[in-house]
Amino acid sequence: MFKKFSFEDISAQNQVKTSVQRKIRQSIAEEYPGLEPLMEDLLPKKSPLLVAKCQNHLNLVVVNNVPLFFNVRDGPYMPTLRLLHQYPDIMKKFQVDRGAIKFVLAGANIMCPGLTSPGGAMDDEVSEETPVAVMAEGKQHALAIGFTKLSAKDIRAVNKGIGVDNMHYLNDGLWKMERLE
Amino acid sequence: MAEKPQPVRVLYCGVCGLPAEYCEFGPDFEKCKPWLRVNAADLYPDLLNEDNQKDVDKAAEQLQSVGISSSGDGGGASAAAASGGTSKPEEVKRLPGGKIKKKEKQEVVIEKIVRNKRKCVTVVKGLELFGVKLSDASKKLGKKFATGASVVKGPTEKEQIDVQGDIAYDIVEFLTETWPDVPETAIFFIEDGKKVAAA
Repeated sequence: MFKKFSFEDISAQNQVKTSVQRKIRQSIAEEYPGLEPLMEDLLPKKSPLLVAKCQNHLNLVVVNNVPLFFNVRDGPYMPTLRLLHQYPDIMKKFQVDRGAIKFVLAGANIMCPGLTSPGGAMDDEVSEETPVAVMAEGKQHALAIGFTKLSAKDIRAVNKGIGVDNMHYLNDGLWKMERLE
Repeated sequence: MAEKPQPVRVLYCGVCGLPAEYCEFGPDFEKCKPWLRVNAADLYPDLLNEDNQKDVDKAAEQLQSVGISSSGDGGGASAAAASGGTSKPEEVKRLPGGKIKKKEKQEVVIEKIVRNKRKCVTVVKGLELFGVKLSDASKKLGKKFATGASVVKGPTEKEQIDVQGDIAYDIVEFLTETWPDVPETAIFFIEDGKKVAAA
């Protein structure tokens, strides 16, 4: 999704109303209970919260010029990889085998066999349409953020085709956008 | 309130910006190697071995060169030159597809567009190639010439600065003075569809 993404894709960047801010905070806190104690640090009530609107109904939540979360249409908010690296335990984790790393880093969606093979692993209770952190065999840090198409159970059962949509991966456009001006 | 989990510090590669462990899958592993050897040697044990091998080779080479030239400093200088060559960053930008982006010619093009017969707009293109921030530049231009100046998306997705009014007469001086990086020789006017050097 962020394969080609640059400053030009941001069509508008606005400071949003407090009521909207509250809503964003709330939905993030709901989605990531692990972040609750950190909310005040991440999204301080005092500092202005910007929402950058981009093409394809994409929104970025920007605090102090750093993009922290993104979402599509009214979908769930997902952290950027830089944020996830700092707090790796806030999301459910999927692990792909080593062979898949190359493709995931090129932006490919995650196929079921890469998750079910010996190198892969899944948190069992994940249902479909949930954001997950994609880890890799033998690596400590997440390499992508995905959005499940099938539940973990179904992925095991079907074992074919796309299991997780690749939303944001290392070295894509959003990753390179460390700071917004 | 629950205990705050501390943020994890991730080691990012100084060359490609990825977490160090992903360098091997990054855009250019070869270029990251020298950095990794220094900063994340434990992640890539193979590299160290390779390095040792190289050191041995280098030492042997040096010994040889010393033997031939019979002056130690000659060998040392050549080794230093070699290491300098490898660490020099190359200015090749890679597009997402892995293609190498062509370096654009650095020049500023100034064009006067007449509208409504007696009003005109001066368009400045290419300032960003000199590392000038366009938003800053437009502000400065507007201030200097006391007119409206804005950053506009021009044809082919490039950004340019539109300044209201005919300011072609002393924009060259202003540009070269405010941004010493911009040489006068790189500034061109467009007159009757032809490029004319300003200098």
